[in-house]
Amino acid sequence: MLTGNAAAAWGVRLAEVDYIPVYPITPQTEIIETLAGWISNGVMDSRFVTMDSEHSMLTAAGSASATGARAFTATSSQGLLYGFEMLYAVAGWRVPLVMVNVSRGLSSPITLEPDHNDVLAARDTGFLQIHCETCQEVLDSILMAYRLAEDERVLLPIFVNLDGFYLSFTREPVAVPDVEQVRNFLPLYQPKHAFFKASQPMAQSAAVLGGSSYSYFKYQMHMASQNALAVYKEVCDEFETGFGRNYDTVEGYMLDDADYVLVMTNSFSTLGKAAVKAARERGIKAGLLRLRLLRPFPVADLKAAIGGKKAVAVIDQNISIGKGGILHSEIASCLYNEKHRPLLLSFIAGLGGKNISPDEFEFIITKMIEGEDTEDAGTAQLIYTDKEWQEMGRLKGMAGKG
Amino acid sequence: MAGNGAIKRDGGKGVKDMVMERIKSIKDIPPEENMLPGTPTCAGCGGLLALRHCMKALGRKIVIVNAAGCFTLLTIYPYTPFKNSWLYTAMACAPAGAQGIRDALDILIKKGRLDPDENLKVVVLTGDGSAYDMSLSSTSGAINRNLDFYYICYDNEAYGNTGVQWSGATPFASKTGTTPPGMLSPIGAELAKKDLFAIWNSHKPPYLATISPAHPVDLINKFKKAEQYKGPKLFIALSPCPPGWGIDPSYTVKLAKLAVDTGVWALKEAVFGNLKHTVVPKRFKPVEEYLKVQGRFAHLFKPVRQEGALNKIQEGVDEYWNRHKLLL
Amino acid sequence: MYRLRFHGRGGQGARVASKVLGTAAFLDGYYAQDFPLYGAERRGAPVAASTRIAEDPIMERGVIPEPDIVIVMDETLLQDPLTMPLSGLKPGGIVIINTTNSPAEAKAEYKINANVLTLGITKIGLDMLGMPILSTLAGGVAARIVGLSEDSLTEAVKKVLSSIITDKKLLDKNVAAALYCFNAITPIETKIELKTIDTNKKKSTVISLPFEPAAVSSPAINATGNTPLRMTGNWRVFRPAWNYEACTRCMICVARCPDGCILINEDGYPYTDYDNCKGCLICVEECPTNTLGKVMEVHAKKVIGN
Repeated sequence: MLTGNAAAAWGVRLAEVDYIPVYPITPQTEIIETLAGWISNGVMDSRFVTMDSEHSMLTAAGSASATGARAFTATSSQGLLYGFEMLYAVAGWRVPLVMVNVSRGLSSPITLEPDHNDVLAARDTGFLQIHCETCQEVLDSILMAYRLAEDERVLLPIFVNLDGFYLSFTREPVAVPDVEQVRNFLPLYQPKHAFFKASQPMAQSAAVLGGSSYSYFKYQMHMASQNALAVYKEVCDEFETGFGRNYDTVEGYMLDDADYVLVMTNSFSTLGKAAVKAARERGIKAGLLRLRLLRPFPVADLKAAIGGKKAVAVIDQNISIGKGGILHSEIASCLYNEKHRPLLLSFIAGLGGKNISPDEFEFIITKMIEGEDTEDAGTAQLIYTDKEWQEMGRLKGMAGKG
Repeated sequence: MAGNGAIKRDGGKGVKDMVMERIKSIKDIPPEENMLPGTPTCAGCGGLLALRHCMKALGRKIVIVNAAGCFTLLTIYPYTPFKNSWLYTAMACAPAGAQGIRDALDILIKKGRLDPDENLKVVVLTGDGSAYDMSLSSTSGAINRNLDFYYICYDNEAYGNTGVQWSGATPFASKTGTTPPGMLSPIGAELAKKDLFAIWNSHKPPYLATISPAHPVDLINKFKKAEQYKGPKLFIALSPCPPGWGIDPSYTVKLAKLAVDTGVWALKEAVFGNLKHTVVPKRFKPVEEYLKVQGRFAHLFKPVRQEGALNKIQEGVDEYWNRHKLLL
Repeated sequence: MYRLRFHGRGGQGARVASKVLGTAAFLDGYYAQDFPLYGAERRGAPVAASTRIAEDPIMERGVIPEPDIVIVMDETLLQDPLTMPLSGLKPGGIVIINTTNSPAEAKAEYKINANVLTLGITKIGLDMLGMPILSTLAGGVAARIVGLSEDSLTEAVKKVLSSIITDKKLLDKNVAAALYCFNAITPIETKIELKTIDTNKKKSTVISLPFEPAAVSSPAINATGNTPLRMTGNWRVFRPAWNYEACTRCMICVARCPDGCILINEDGYPYTDYDNCKGCLICVEECPTNTLGKVMEVHAKKVIGN
């Protein structure tokens, strides 16, 4: 039994990471405390340093990676935003840093529980992104992340995302792989493109003047990220061969014959699966598609999974203020040119860790069925209940806003 | 290494080992150029002159970690003036970049994945905007962690790369793009220059010094002295900036000398916090001689002489040297 | 449309010249647009600025790739392989060169196949303003060539300069210098008309960028010490000139050069790397024996030629 945070730490330990610069933030801190303990006790041979901020932490992790070491770091929410500048910088250095983000809603108002505005803010940086549903998946994804990031066809940094509280502090059974087996899967990092040594001077991250040079470097990153789709499949197959667990770019649940599909990410997908199961018991052909790889965006797999379905509801646990659900926009753009595109509904749910109850899922599924009849997807809607509204009224009263 | 073979490390305790050779005159400056010409810095750049001498002292087995500033433009793809490695980071975090590289080199050597002969000295290079303002946090962290690195700040007393605006290093009464002398504020910058030396020195780093591009012998000897210490070795170079200071490019060195001769720029060093002045003028020239030749202070003389401001500047300089009992 | 491109060096005033011209054109009732190109290079480095003038709204932006008129504010730029100030000049276009040479001499010396006008505005600047800042002078020349009015030029110089300088006397001197240049140059008949000319651009083919691995496609430089390829020697307005009779090989000049452009020959004497020397003249200022003097750049070439 491990928490998501402990599972992340185990992934880092098994990957035999050389260097771990850190900075504490809730709900990520348990990861770095666990690693600090192992290093202090000598069970892990890594250099560990607490930096003065996430900005410095990301810089140190990136520069160590640019020196040729296997580096790891982790953060959450405000910390991610504080280091944000360096996400673009480190990705531009083309170094295979693996970073865990433990999702947490963004201030203001400051909060602790999860949604995905933090990690999705980083979706254009060049970091690849794997989003996890279970603690086991967190551990396994870290191993896969190093393989993917260090592949010469890719060489981009990568996020492994897990939800604060719902995974980070939640204990569940996790199989910890054997270190020798991990070594077979994940060989030593030996960079040919970015390192610092006396015999081969290298000026990394030079300034560029002129749009054609800049376009070249940026678009090469995009192509490397696109390459990662195919490389991911290889890594996924090899992982399954070695460890017996399969993690495709997207995961279908009761999806093959489904007419009505929920699209979700991260730990709340488990709740969605339960709702699908309940709907099936009511005779509704529901299914769920969980997006696991968000960067690069698995366009083809997504189209294959939901093309031809009657209705799809994207449940965004995030909000792009002034536009709506981020994943809804991304999925809509994938489907626009498809001949048999499903009706696409948009829901915002689970912001700041707000629970999504079976009633709320039922509402969403009903909306899909109604929409299919009327051929009207409606507008994006926040999933919020009358009880929550009443409770909010009580709080406002206490705040003197009555 | 700058041609000095027998320098022993002190194992972090900072015990002086006087094996290093000091140079005595300009003729002794190592002839090798470790930074080649053709960079896009302005003609007559004081910071580049200081850096050129630093590079001679540091040798080629180094990696420079650069923060956003004028010297970002030293390496513009596909050109570099250096024979050594380089990493551009961002404005706030060059010392953190140095931390990552130092730690990575150490662990790779320890794990046998990097030949110790491939080791590099790690050198942070920043302007004053980064050093005095934005990267104070990351610098303080690096000094506190006793990171084994060099830090060179080329201090041209303004955000030069953006076209000369006020920074924490801008001296009182200087004209910059964001401190324009006007009807209501005829003085220009109203705040005093931060004392970065004192801020850094409060950490008691192994070695800390001010340097000047006009005093290359003093500069190189300071680097040689610093070499014996493991831990932070920090240098602030007052760097006349022809466009920023409103001087002819040919006047850079003259002005750097005047800064020292008038007492505006004290050449000093501190070893684990213990301060010593390395160049003390026998007779201090009036500060006005330094101010009146610079466009950025022209408003103190024309159209109306700003007597109060001029006195305040002179008094500040006198107070400094009095405090250190060096004003004769 | 008139498309004019100014070429000068950082600090000479190409950017302000393009502003003066744009403002004067606007005051004369035309649509106008001016645009400086900021590079990484600073004072002394080659810079360019563009001005467009038209009777109709201007549907172009950015640097002018194919100018009707090029104003070369620094003669040395004509021999600079990286600047190439005449690149893209349209057939029948005009080149105005800041030189004391006649148009025929300039045409021959620089092998220019276009209409050439010359005026030694550096000397005019030194005489009338006391400094080699040529912005209003070049603006005055250009205003005349495109047929703008004296009144608008005067007004434009005042408008543009009053936001840069506070010295009223210097402003008046600039107006006088601009007008002097305006009247000193004779426009020539050309085929250029004040309406948009379709340019005969070579067609570009859009390609699909091929993927290259990070070893190639990261913005890292594996070469070392290659900045001398940039040849910053072309920045110089004045060059340090040597008279070795007085040289004591004291090495002060070597220690003072920011760019490391003073080398030592076999006999231990210093000499200038003119390919890269930016002409800051610190060496001249610091030389204790008058071994070093300064010579204006174009003039120096002729001395060497002799």
